Amino acid sequence: MDTMFSEMAWLIPLFPLAAFLLLLASGRSGRRVGVAIGSVGSLASLVLSILVLIEHMGDGATYYQDGFKWIDLGSFQLNFGYEVTNLSALMLVVVTAVSFLVNVYSAGYMRDDERISVFYSYIALFTFSMLGLVLADNMLSLYFFWELVGVCSFLLVGFWYTKPAARAAAKKAFIVTRIGDAGLLIAILLLFWYMPDHALDFVRIENVFEGQTGAVAAGVTTLIAILIFVGAIGKSGQFPLHVWLPDAMEGPTPISALIHAATMVAAGVYLVARTFDIFQASPVAMETVAYIGAFTAIFAATIGIAQNDIKRILAYSTVSQLGYMMMALGLGSLTGGVFHLFTHAFFKALLFLGAGSIIHAVHTQNINEMGGLGSKMRITAWTFGIGALALSGIPPFAGFWSKDAILATALHENPTLFVVGVVAAFFTAFYMSRLFFLVFTGKPKGDGKAHESPLSMTIPLIILAVFAIGAGFIETPWNGTLSEWLTGTAAAAHSGGGLVMVISTAVGALGIYLGWLVFVKGTIARDAISSRAPWLARLLERKYYIDEIYEAILVKPLRGLGQLLNAIDQYLIDGIVSFIGGTAVFLGRGGTRLQNGQVQTYGLITILGLVILIIAVVGRRFWS
Amino acid sequence: MLSSYLMVAAILFCIGLYGALVKKNAVIVLLSIELMLNAVNLNLVAFSKYGVVPSLTGQIFTLFTIAVAAAEVAVGIAILIALFRARGTVNVDEYDEMRR
Amino acid sequence: MFNIEWTGEYIAFIVFSAVIISGAVFMINFTKVVHMVVSLAAVFIGIAGMFVLLNAEFLAFVQVLVYAGAVSILMIFGIMMTKHKESETESKRGLHSLLVGIGAVALFGILFYAIRQTEFPQEQPLQAVEDNTLEIGKLLFTGYVVPFEIISVLLTVAFIGSIVLAKKEANE
Repeated sequence: MDTMFSEMAWLIPLFPLAAFLLLLASGRSGRRVGVAIGSVGSLASLVLSILVLIEHMGDGATYYQDGFKWIDLGSFQLNFGYEVTNLSALMLVVVTAVSFLVNVYSAGYMRDDERISVFYSYIALFTFSMLGLVLADNMLSLYFFWELVGVCSFLLVGFWYTKPAARAAAKKAFIVTRIGDAGLLIAILLLFWYMPDHALDFVRIENVFEGQTGAVAAGVTTLIAILIFVGAIGKSGQFPLHVWLPDAMEGPTPISALIHAATMVAAGVYLVARTFDIFQASPVAMETVAYIGAFTAIFAATIGIAQNDIKRILAYSTVSQLGYMMMALGLGSLTGGVFHLFTHAFFKALLFLGAGSIIHAVHTQNINEMGGLGSKMRITAWTFGIGALALSGIPPFAGFWSKDAILATALHENPTLFVVGVVAAFFTAFYMSRLFFLVFTGKPKGDGKAHESPLSMTIPLIILAVFAIGAGFIETPWNGTLSEWLTGTAAAAHSGGGLVMVISTAVGALGIYLGWLVFVKGTIARDAISSRAPWLARLLERKYYIDEIYEAILVKPLRGLGQLLNAIDQYLIDGIVSFIGGTAVFLGRGGTRLQNGQVQTYGLITILGLVILIIAVVGRRFWS
Repeated sequence: MLSSYLMVAAILFCIGLYGALVKKNAVIVLLSIELMLNAVNLNLVAFSKYGVVPSLTGQIFTLFTIAVAAAEVAVGIAILIALFRARGTVNVDEYDEMRR
Repeated sequence: MFNIEWTGEYIAFIVFSAVIISGAVFMINFTKVVHMVVSLAAVFIGIAGMFVLLNAEFLAFVQVLVYAGAVSILMIFGIMMTKHKESETESKRGLHSLLVGIGAVALFGILFYAIRQTEFPQEQPLQAVEDNTLEIGKLLFTGYVVPFEIISVLLTVAFIGSIVLAKKEANE
């Protein structure tokens, strides 16, 4: 098969960019057409992405790269190009599909918002940046788009900037991810410094590190890998930089679905997958990734149990699932990580959009104030349930297969992490069932005027639900299509596949059953734990006091330093400046008084000047 | 002898200078300027007699100076009268147009 | 400094310079404007006397005519037409006067020093000619005829100009 569509891949990001520019140009008048422009832009990208993916499904066209010379410094050359691999083709489809569905969904969700066209332009800009990130063929242009998505995230989290919480969350998201970005930047600089020919494109990075040529020393390799991972930590909300992601839920819900569940936060995973060869060259880095991923997975899952805000629960769930992906990558399973990224994108987007539909109906985010919505919002309830099951890892939904792939790898590579993963899966199932049962079953609370959302919101839910059911079948223990396609080698059969499947299903079912017992049947009192170990409940509810710790050990000292520097600036620097200024003003005042328009004063000055001049010129003979 | 004349001229010049810069009345300022001019004339005539090259040229120049001074006084008084009509005063320190 | 012979010329010089300097000082110190003009006329006459001592008889006459006559009268007319207060108000600008005084005295000091330091050539002074007016007239109409004509034009222009300036604007 030829590379006809891959050659046109550079068009994919340009559709959203064009949509963004159109929306920007049309301003507020674009309110009516904004929805159409944004949706058409992302639809065009989606179609082209699917064509590219289909092309890559076949044989032959596994790789295509093109671009133009961007920077030419002596012997160093850098292209600004794009690169289509199987991995990026898959990511293209995920991004454009979720983006398109979110566009459609937002038409209903944001219908009454004043600035809907601005919202759409931000989404288009984000889609453009994300696609650019996926297609980037070297580290530098990847970094470029990496920062662009960060900006879009900032803009969209703070979209309702009249809310103080949204402003604070936007700033927090931006600043915390910047910490990670700094790590990535240093990694890029190190790569530039140590790579042969200062090459930054992925192809040559792959060649250098895969071949273990020793061109880059082992210590440096580890350092680079760790620093890249720091960037991924920031973007993907891994511990200890996860704090921004739950707060980012202050943004509009479709944004949470698009950016903070399906695409941008997956960029960290994508980055690690993209530079996987560097990681593979360094066992230390791999272990770091695996352990941090596993810790994040269980850490965030436990927090998720104690939260009451529907979006925050989903946010911690996202953090937890991203931890799974990282763990998979750290254990050497590129397929597992990317597969989970793929399925997670669909079912987490589904869950968020479903949550948006609920919030749209009841105007609250507290799950304790909801209840009995199942009968009023049938489509939402069903699709949300599918998403929840997929997340909990119940067969045959998508999440089961990808989680199974990860756990199988973990069992094979590192049994400790396998246990951690299983426990995290149990917690996941428990908090999802808690969420589902509290929202959709039981007695209705509130004013009870909840109703099903409009068609533009339910259709994306249904489509995503289909994916949440079906997306998992591209890779099963019996059918290694995806891994073969991604890594180019025939997959080794999962050892102990059956055992893992049984365990993970059992754990998921157990979690759900426990949730049912607690929140529906009431066999176990709800405050069973909180009454016996109130400190534990508090610890979870306060998210392990991470924010407070950061506040105490980082924010406060830095703020104190800032105030000190501010004081120095205000009193010392400003003092010097205003002293200089004041001197000039003083001299000027004096000058003004001399410049009084009186001829006689001028004459006086002339005479004095003449006398001084004569003394200076003639008098030299006396003292020299 | 020459230095005695020059000394008188210098004294006269300095007194005129003092008056021109201190006096408020514009007429007196004009008078002081005349004093300074006369000091110059005295110098010219003194050099005409006792100078390095004694000749009548100094006297001719003094003649011209006197003519110019006469013209100056006439024009000065005319300007003064016009100013007085416009501003209602002859005080020099109230003439501060140059500041504006 | 004092080893000079007491000739008639020198005594006359002393008298004239006393008249000139005291007149000038009086002019500065008087408060009534008319008194000032009178003492100024004394200065002019003293200078005319000096011109006679310097063998410039014609200039002395011109000095008396133009300065002591015309200029003083013109000043008195100016004083009358600007109908200012009779006496000069005391200057309130103490610092200004002081600085001007310092400047004037310093300038005089410099001039004094320069005059005392200079070695003047002791050449033969210009001899008194038979008819000073005749000699000046010859020079004026031979070597200095062009400046002479120009100065006459200047005078004409100045007088016409002063008439224009001082004239009351009729249509105002």
